[in-house]
Amino acid sequence: MSDEEHHFESKADAGASKTYPQQAGTIRKNGYIVIKNRPCKVVEVSTSKTGKHGHAKCHFVGIDIFNGKKLEDIVPSSHNCDVPHVTRTDYQLIDISEDGFLSLLTDSGGTKDDLRLPTDENLLSQIKDGFAEGKDLVVTVMSSMGEEQICALKDIGPKN
Amino acid sequence: MQRSPNDLSQLQATMRAIEVACSSIQMMVNRAEAEATILSLCQSPQPYQACQYILENSQMPNARFQAATAIRDAAIRDYCLCYVMQRASSPEGYVQAKVSAAAAQLMKRGWLEFSAAEKETFLSEVKQATLGIHGADVQFIGIKLMESLVSEFSLSTSTAMGLPAEFHDQCQKSMELEYLKTFYCWARDAASSVTNKILDSDSPVPETKVCTAALRLMLQILNWDFRYSKNGLESAKGKKNVFSAQVGNDNNLSRRSECTIVQPGPVWHDVLISSGHIGWLLSFYGALRQKFSCEGFWLDCPLAVSARKLIVQFCSLKGNIFHSDIGQMQENHLLQLLSGIMQWINPPDEVSKAIESGKSESEMLDGCRALLSIATVTTPVVFDQLLKSISPFGTLTLLSALMCEVLKVLMVRNAEEETWSWVARDLLLDTWTALLVSIESGGETGLLPAVGRNAASNVFSLIVESELKAASASAFSDDMASDYFQASASAMDERLSSYALIGRASIDITIPLLTNLFNERVARLHQGRGITDPTVTLEELYSMLLIIGHVLADEGEGETPLVPKAIQTQHVASGESEKHPVVVLSSSILNFAKQSLDSEMRASIFSPRLMEAITWFLARWSSTYLMPSEETGESNSGSCYDNNHMVQSSVSSKAFLIFGEHNQGKSVLDLVVHIATTTLVSYPGEKDLQALTCYHLLHALVRRRNVCVHLVGLDSWRRLANAFANERLLFTLYSAHQRSLAQTLVVSASGIKNPEASNQYVRDLMCHMTNYLMELSSKNDLKIVAHQPDVILLVSCLLERLRGAARATEPRMQKAIYEMGSTVMNSILIFLEVYKHEFAVVYLLLKFVVDWVDGQIIYLEAQETAGVVNFCMRLLQLYSSHNIGKISLSISSSLLSEAKTEKYKDLRALLQLLANLCSKDLVDFSSDSPETPGTNISQVVYFGLCIVIPLISLDLLKYPKLCHDFFSLLSHLLEVYPEMVAQLNDEAFSHVLGTLDFGLHHQDMEVVDMCLRALKALASYHYKETTVGKVGLGTRAAGSKDQNGQMSEGIFGRFLRTLLHLVLFEDYSTDLVSAAADALLPLILCEQSLYQRLGNELIERQVNPAFKSRLANALQCLTSSNQLSFTLDRMNYQRFRKNLINFLVEVRGFLRTIKILVLFPVLFVCKSVLQTSRIQDPGRILFEKIYPKQVK
Repeated sequence: MSDEEHHFESKADAGASKTYPQQAGTIRKNGYIVIKNRPCKVVEVSTSKTGKHGHAKCHFVGIDIFNGKKLEDIVPSSHNCDVPHVTRTDYQLIDISEDGFLSLLTDSGGTKDDLRLPTDENLLSQIKDGFAEGKDLVVTVMSSMGEEQICALKDIGPKN
Repeated sequence: MQRSPNDLSQLQATMRAIEVACSSIQMMVNRAEAEATILSLCQSPQPYQACQYILENSQMPNARFQAATAIRDAAIRDYCLCYVMQRASSPEGYVQAKVSAAAAQLMKRGWLEFSAAEKETFLSEVKQATLGIHGADVQFIGIKLMESLVSEFSLSTSTAMGLPAEFHDQCQKSMELEYLKTFYCWARDAASSVTNKILDSDSPVPETKVCTAALRLMLQILNWDFRYSKNGLESAKGKKNVFSAQVGNDNNLSRRSECTIVQPGPVWHDVLISSGHIGWLLSFYGALRQKFSCEGFWLDCPLAVSARKLIVQFCSLKGNIFHSDIGQMQENHLLQLLSGIMQWINPPDEVSKAIESGKSESEMLDGCRALLSIATVTTPVVFDQLLKSISPFGTLTLLSALMCEVLKVLMVRNAEEETWSWVARDLLLDTWTALLVSIESGGETGLLPAVGRNAASNVFSLIVESELKAASASAFSDDMASDYFQASASAMDERLSSYALIGRASIDITIPLLTNLFNERVARLHQGRGITDPTVTLEELYSMLLIIGHVLADEGEGETPLVPKAIQTQHVASGESEKHPVVVLSSSILNFAKQSLDSEMRASIFSPRLMEAITWFLARWSSTYLMPSEETGESNSGSCYDNNHMVQSSVSSKAFLIFGEHNQGKSVLDLVVHIATTTLVSYPGEKDLQALTCYHLLHALVRRRNVCVHLVGLDSWRRLANAFANERLLFTLYSAHQRSLAQTLVVSASGIKNPEASNQYVRDLMCHMTNYLMELSSKNDLKIVAHQPDVILLVSCLLERLRGAARATEPRMQKAIYEMGSTVMNSILIFLEVYKHEFAVVYLLLKFVVDWVDGQIIYLEAQETAGVVNFCMRLLQLYSSHNIGKISLSISSSLLSEAKTEKYKDLRALLQLLANLCSKDLVDFSSDSPETPGTNISQVVYFGLCIVIPLISLDLLKYPKLCHDFFSLLSHLLEVYPEMVAQLNDEAFSHVLGTLDFGLHHQDMEVVDMCLRALKALASYHYKETTVGKVGLGTRAAGSKDQNGQMSEGIFGRFLRTLLHLVLFEDYSTDLVSAAADALLPLILCEQSLYQRLGNELIERQVNPAFKSRLANALQCLTSSNQLSFTLDRMNYQRFRKNLINFLVEVRGFLRTIKILVLFPVLFVCKSVLQTSRIQDPGRILFEKIYPKQVK
């Protein structure tokens, strides 16, 4: 596996890269894929052939991880697809400002104040209500291809 | 409806008279007079108005009761019966049908109460009608009425009517034993009484309708599910299953076409066989056929259809209706039928020509159905002989000729579905299967008669031709749905298996034919290389490989399949093994497959789809023919055949040894490995092909130890292993395929003789992977790099590989696989932290641990166990701390549901992990002596359960697999460590009980069974503890006061109620009764006073005094018969099981009454609507509303 190691070293500082190529045939359900320049979660993969005795191609159904829209793509299975770099970071929720921004505590002790509250009523109320009840909330912020959004809430007990 | 005041006063008077009469009966005065008054109500010609008035207005229950009785009797007597009889000629058939159905239901409702004379009166009216005295219309109605009766009394078509199952059962029995044969005779007489009229008249006569109805009724009666009259021995089986509501005849013949065997028993002999009835039927149909021969439509008219159906039904008569005279009587019977049927299907070419030019196919198809029925009830030899006495050829020859005709038509028409030739082909294929399967499984004679073999080989060659034609025609079709290999193969599988049976009937002809056709196609490919489009030939080869695979070998289904018996036992002329047709064909295919190794050939000929067929074929063929273990080959051939066959079969077996270990086996194995490697390396992205290679071909190779021995010595295998361990190329495989490949490679190490060398083999294979994972997990910048997609992909692939290796754990390689897992334990925990938001990775981590623990735990020494258990607990805690209280937010509902599914999968893995840990207490192969202080598994698992339970909601238990796993773990824990339950905290305890309650009402039988076992364990633990003066479950069992000071029932009381209700009133499978008894006994013992109370309540609730006393007795017997005692030993459990079964058989029949009928007033309205309305529909709709026919 020595060549693997080499491969791994060279990418050590490439965290800034937004996407990576990956063979279509190896992308699984629950993985990520870029379709029409949007980062998507794969919810369905099926294979078919180009003509009875042709080569396989993959049919992907993805859901945009930020706006929830459904997108589809067909790629020959030996070709490469773009896979987005998706990160999720936990922050403790300190405050919700009146102009719709969140105040978040980072791991290093600093604050992050540039994340807007979601516009969707339902999500908004889930965050606001939890905060109003005085729960200690950790929010998980998902970011990919230059976008950010809250993707999960975790209650870590009542605020003291 | 308006009532005049005059009417009203009259009604009031009647009501008062009845009320007086009722009370005087009660007070025992003027009894005779009172009875007369009431009788007069019943016998008055129009009692409905009066009765309705009484029902609505009387304050006196007795009077209302009498009114209801009167209205019922009247309804049957003058209402339904007269209504239909009087209006026999009315054209609205559906109204009559509804009314006669209603009459049948009313009859059935009172059936067990009517005296024989009462039934006689009613039935004699029906008989008069069917005799035709009142004309054809009434005759028709009479037959229809019998039809309604038969269908109402047959369990599968009866209406529930809110009556207990016992009632339906008794009615069915009464009908079968007392009336069915009579009805049959009436129908027969009705039919024969009108025959002449129909035959003599040139225009349609009303008698046709009568005859059709009579034939239909006869068919319906022959379709009856005979239970009681079969014979004495089997009548025990007729005992009704009282535990589930579902009824239906269990038909164990599963084929494409339906073919029920009719077994009415010896009492029917006189009516059906010896009376010349069948001869009459055949000649009647023959005469009609003659008469209407010029009118094509006639074949499809109801009379012809029902007559044919009845004739076909007669072909499946079986059992002791025929006397035991070595089948002579049955043969005569079948011959008689067959000679009548011959004209429908013979000569085949003319029949098919006539159909193609527009004649109806229904008669021909019925002929095929008759052949199928005959084949089902006879042996091949008898089948063939039947026709020989009346024609120059045997039945098999006819069958073959017929099938050939059908196939020819199919080829011309080019396989449009649902044409007559499709149907006929399937019917005839089933006929062949019915004949040949009896040979394959029975094997006394082992072979078809020579004529039959000839016939079979003719059919087979046409089958192959037609399949090839279909293949070439579909080569360019873009019907992608059916193109997926596995789907199309399994859809075709059934058909192919029938083909294979036919092909194997004469391998000396069919196999050389297949070889020639195959070689021809291969030659055509080579000639046309680079010049012509090969697609058509490729598709033909694809189809041929599937057929050949089926003919040569059976599906192993996890076991090692032997050479099919038909191939092994047939005498083949050639002397040398190289010339054995099977060997020749196999070699041709192997040679062809070898060419795929050449890259140029691959590019021009070996399409992914063709490779799929080759891979599939090689997997199937190798399991049977490649390196067969020699001693099984010989012992098998000796055991079950006589001398003559043994010589032949050993000739064949010897021929197949050419692919054995000491012959060409090694080189063929090498070839197969090369081809497999090629599909993995040279077909990038062909997931389906690679799946076949990984899951079918390679698995088939390593399944047998003797093959593994040779595999590990092959260079080609070593290269594959090396590439897997050290090269990047195989990382481009789908990750699940990598898992399978790892498993296969590790399993092959079992072929190395020296255990240390096997372990070293595994270490060499896996060490790079574990090293890589450890290095990665110790990187300082892990948090940053870990989330790069390429790193995620690599980690996922490696975890899949480790998981594959873990699943291959065998004692021989256990050491190396333990080391593999224990070196990465720490890394796993680090990854679980880093990837906590990356479901795909978390799931793989959990699954690896699950499989690894599963394989290892039973072998581990005390110290190793402690380490592994500790690791598992840290894993559980870590997972829980990440996920408890976490809510996924997304505006996309499908992403949210994905998140839920992911959670479910994780939890299922965690439950499996706990279950695997449990197994340490059951099976332990470690060398530790039992005294060595080890880990307390029960504590660990309960601790684990407390971590997992808060994550599981009832919502998540809706996932069937999770539910199953959860309850199997729970019931296991409660059974093995009931004492731990007392130590659970309140929240966990109530959660456990809540889920048990949920599980008891689950629809999955296994889940219910597991809950019952858990209950039994809990209750018997508590009972045993308390009888020796310990606390058992203490306050939890006793119940407690809640905040309001209300006494809440203890857990055993609660479950006693639930369980009693379940066994008495709900639907469940019979198989659960034993488990229910085992749980019920300790519950009763724990809560004896409550049980008494519940029993009394149950008795009190019964209104009917007869039922009341039956129930009381049954309850008494339940706890006292069979010397039941107050102990919980094996003996006592068994006694109680018996008691409970008897108890349920006795009482469930009447307890489970679904609802009580209150429809008499409605009937009245109904009647007036029918009588007054000019429009027929309202009446019909009302009847339908009242008698909703339950469709089962």
